Amino acid sequence: MDAWQELIFLLEGVPLTLSISIISFLAGIAIGLPLAFIRAYENEVSFVVDAYEKIFRGIPEIVLMLLFFFGLGLYFPFPFGNAFFVAAFVLGLRSGANQSQIFRGAIRGVGDEQMIAAQSIGCSKWQAIWHVMVPQVFTFSTPGLGSEYALLIKDSSYVWVIGGLAEIMTRSIWLKNVPPYDVVTPFVLAALLYIALTFPIAFWLDRWGNKRKKKIGL
Amino acid sequence: MTDLVMEARNVYKNYGKLEAVRNVSMQIRKGDIKLIFGPSGSGKSTFLRCMAMLTMPDKGEIYLGEQCLTKPGVDLNKARARIGFVFQHIYLFRHLTALGNVELALRQVLKLPKEEARARALAALKEVKVTECMNKYPNQMSGGQQQRIGIARAIARNPDIILLDEPTSALDPELTGEVIDTLRDLAKEGTTMLIVSHEMPFAREVAEEMIFYDEGSIVETGTPAHFFDSPHSERAKKFMTRIINRTTRE
Repeated sequence: MDAWQELIFLLEGVPLTLSISIISFLAGIAIGLPLAFIRAYENEVSFVVDAYEKIFRGIPEIVLMLLFFFGLGLYFPFPFGNAFFVAAFVLGLRSGANQSQIFRGAIRGVGDEQMIAAQSIGCSKWQAIWHVMVPQVFTFSTPGLGSEYALLIKDSSYVWVIGGLAEIMTRSIWLKNVPPYDVVTPFVLAALLYIALTFPIAFWLDRWGNKRKKKIGL
Repeated sequence: MTDLVMEARNVYKNYGKLEAVRNVSMQIRKGDIKLIFGPSGSGKSTFLRCMAMLTMPDKGEIYLGEQCLTKPGVDLNKARARIGFVFQHIYLFRHLTALGNVELALRQVLKLPKEEARARALAALKEVKVTECMNKYPNQMSGGQQQRIGIARAIARNPDIILLDEPTSALDPELTGEVIDTLRDLAKEGTTMLIVSHEMPFAREVAEEMIFYDEGSIVETGTPAHFFDSPHSERAKKFMTRIINRTTRE
C-alpha cells in the first residue's frame, strides 16, 4: 500500500471516530449539566456528585474500557459485550465528570444574581435554571467545551484496546501489521487526521463563544 | 382592612452577628408610596428582600394581602409573581433582549399566549419609554435604559406592589433623571411602591411616608415635610443635614 491508499483506508475510520466522540460529548452534556447544578444548588447530595467526579477523573479510561468490556461484558454481554457501547459509555461518563466541573465554573461565573432576578419575577428554581442560567452557562463554557471535545476525539483512540471498532487508531495499527510493515506513515497520517478533527471545531467553538460573550457582556 | 397590600410583622434577619433586620413591622396599603432611607449597610436592602421572600426572614411574618408568606408550604413562586422587584444593580437577563427580559415572566410564569405576552411586554416598554431598545441586549444599553427595562420587567405582570432597592444609586448622576421620571409616572398612576432611595427631591414629591432606617430597625417615620423640617431623633437629624447638604452641593 502506498501512502495515498493508507490515507484513504484511515479516512474510512473518521466517521466511527467522530460518532464515538460526539455521542460521548453529548452524553457528557446530559450528565455534566444537571450534576453541575446539583453541586451548585443542592448541598445535601453534592458529595455523591463529588465522588462520581473523582472516580471517573481518577481512573484511566483505558482501564475502565478493559474492565467494562472484558469484565462486565463476560457477565452482561448485553450491553457490555458491545464495543461501541462500552466506548461511548466510558468516554461519556468520564466526559460527564469533566463537563460537570466546566459547567460548575460557568455557573459561578454567570453569578447568583441572575438566579435571584429570575426568582424575583416568579420563576421556580427549575424555570430559573432552564430559562436564565443554562443559556448563559453554555456561552460561558465554550472554551472548556472546545477542549473537552478535542480530548474526546483523542481519547476515542483508546478503544483500540478492546478491538472490533475500525476507527482511526485501530486502522493505523492494522496498517503497521501488514506488508510493507511501515511503522511511520500510518501514525503520521493518524496524527494529522486527529489534528484536522480537533482543531477546527475547538477553534470555531472558542470564537463563537467569545463573540457571543462580548455581545451579552459576560 | 381589605386594602392592605403587604405587611411585615416583627421581622428579624441576622447575618452571623450582624443584625440586618431587627423587629421591623410595616403596613403598605393600596396606592401607598413609602420610601425607606438611611445609612448604607443598615439593612434596608435585606429588609426589602425579606419582603419579597428573596431572602428568608429568621423570624416574623410577611403578608401579601391575606396570605402569610412565611408559613411553610406556601407557593413562593406564585407570591413573587405578584411582587415586582427592582434591583440596585439591575440584574437584567444578559442573554435576552429588552423585550425578552420583559416577556419571560409573562410567557413562563403567567403562561400567557405568545401574542398577548408580546403585547403586554410592548406596553410595559412603552410605559418606561424604551421601545427603541426592545431588540437590544442589556450590554448594548446605557445604565438608565437598563434600569428602565428593569422597571418594565417588574411592572409588566401588573404586580400588587413594586419593591425598589435603590433603583438609581448605581447610575451616573445624569442617568438618574430618566429613571426618576419613570418612577414619577408610576406614582401618578397610583402604583403601590416601597422604595429604598436617597433621592430626596423625588421623595419629597411623591412619598406619602418616609421611613428612617438605621442599624436594622425603623428609627422614625413621618411625612417628607416632617423629615425636611424637624425630625425628632438625633440620628435622623444628622442624616438629613448631611443628605440635604450633599444634594444642594450637587
